[in-house]
Amino acid sequence: MINFIDSCYNANLMTEAILVEKLSKTYQVPEREGGFGAAVGGFFHRKYKDVNAVQQVSFTIQSGEMVGFLGPNGAGKTTTLKMLSGLLHPTGGQAHVLGFTPWERKRDFLQTMTLVMGQRSRLSWDIPAADSFLLNQAIYRLSDADYQHTLKELDDLLELSPILRKPVRNLSLGERMKCELAAGLLHRPKVLFLDEPTIGLDITAQARIRTFLEAYNRRTGATILLTSHYMADVTALCERVIIIHHGQLKYDGGLTDLSRRVAPFKLIAVALGDPCPCDLSSYGTLLPSGDEDGKQLIQVSTRDVAAITARMLAELPIHDLTIEDPPIEDVIERAFQG
Amino acid sequence: MLQIYRRLWQVNWAEQWQYRANLLMYLLYWLVSPIVYLAVWTTIANSQGSVNGLTANDFVTYYLTLLIVDQLTSEITIHILAYKIQDGTLSGDLLRPIHPILTNCLVNNLAMKVLNFIVLIPIWLLLCLLFHPNFSSVTIYSVLLAIPAILLGFAISFLLGASLTCLAFWTTRVYSIGEFYYAVVLLFSGQFVPLQLMPPVIQRLAWFLPFQLFRFTPIEIILNQMPADVILRNYIVGVIWLIISIFLFNWIWRQGVKRFSAVGA
Repeated sequence: MINFIDSCYNANLMTEAILVEKLSKTYQVPEREGGFGAAVGGFFHRKYKDVNAVQQVSFTIQSGEMVGFLGPNGAGKTTTLKMLSGLLHPTGGQAHVLGFTPWERKRDFLQTMTLVMGQRSRLSWDIPAADSFLLNQAIYRLSDADYQHTLKELDDLLELSPILRKPVRNLSLGERMKCELAAGLLHRPKVLFLDEPTIGLDITAQARIRTFLEAYNRRTGATILLTSHYMADVTALCERVIIIHHGQLKYDGGLTDLSRRVAPFKLIAVALGDPCPCDLSSYGTLLPSGDEDGKQLIQVSTRDVAAITARMLAELPIHDLTIEDPPIEDVIERAFQG
Repeated sequence: MLQIYRRLWQVNWAEQWQYRANLLMYLLYWLVSPIVYLAVWTTIANSQGSVNGLTANDFVTYYLTLLIVDQLTSEITIHILAYKIQDGTLSGDLLRPIHPILTNCLVNNLAMKVLNFIVLIPIWLLLCLLFHPNFSSVTIYSVLLAIPAILLGFAISFLLGASLTCLAFWTTRVYSIGEFYYAVVLLFSGQFVPLQLMPPVIQRLAWFLPFQLFRFTPIEIILNQMPADVILRNYIVGVIWLIISIFLFNWIWRQGVKRFSAVGA
């Protein structure tokens, strides 16, 4: 029986798990004006428009890395994940996942990776998840011992026991997502593509999935490429992020470097002791703030932050002052625009 | 591989039992057309004495045999697969290291057949009591000889049905193409009317098409009505069509998966 910890050592040898070179995907999308006449006209003469969903994207991910794959809606994240998991054929470029060309869809490749999509179910809705798990055991040819061992591990991490016997359609969204993850991981994939795994979940469920993914990565050394609109997912799990926008790679590197490069400023939150007619805009850019606790936000350049803070402490009747990094959402938003 | 089929069977079996009303209505739909044809042709034969030598009882025997053969050789792939291509849910199947059509789809077809038979057999026995078919010509040998024809018929109809459904990779919606295909099958398989009542041109064409293996050939073999040389010819035609169907399905599936855009999923 393969042990999770043993496989961790093997997978953690720093080899390239995912290699993407100038990957491109262009969709042909039918297009027409609105209205009855255009609908009839479109029946006889259909017009198509090329949509470049992914354009010449290149990156490399090492074994055991956990990388956040970010971009606004329609940026090309899901299309890239679909190509890397063998669902879509690219229109250009190359990709190798664990040495396989994904869209050749070799059995050994499909056996060794998984794609979990938060908005789509791979489980059969009419039967309990336990039955779908048994089917996966047969499909992935897992021995009884391996299957029981992995299921127990997943149960420990996700607390599956109370929900395994209910038909999937009767599960809550959070419960279903736990089962989806477990179904996708029963065969111990070495590469995980996770597309919005926490979408629609409440904060507690999100945190639980995050903790699970972190533990899974630590225990198995699996390579994880994760898309999420929740920045908390990314900051909690990924030291490295890849950002794409309009199908093009915008950034590939560390999260902290991203802040430094894209948003080289800090936020000084200040609460004044007495109402004063002070002009705070002379210290930096005054930002609109929630102002619930009476604090005002001033954006200042990182290199000036020490001098400006000293000036403010000397010149203003300060009750409270904190220096904060800009919210990661803002940093990412700037990167999209950059 | 056997373990995969066994588990797929359990899952499909459990799923199909979930919707009893749906199952029953589906079966009734399946029963309606043969019974209508039976009623129409027996009425005509009774009024004229016979139609091209076929008596009312011959029609009764033919259509009641058809009810069984129809269940065995027909397929429902379009209903299992087309919507998955259309809405992108096929993605989930494509991520597994098994062929979705030759495993899940095939087992789904077989599970539906077994379930249908559970309900069909009592209804069929009741119809036999009502219409008194003449099965005196049926022997154990004729039934055994028909088994390869039934297997050939199902294999070809399954592969052609799957190939047709794969057109959804290009057209997205495939149901109207399916309606046309099933109308052709109805005409050339001997379901609408026994093939010997068709105009000679249609009959000659039917011998070269695979559809006669879906209904007419197995029925006529079971009822001991088909000469040995015709059986041999139909088997040869069947094997040729099986080979064509395998190549066609393989090609269209590979091309289709390349085109698959996995919308929404």
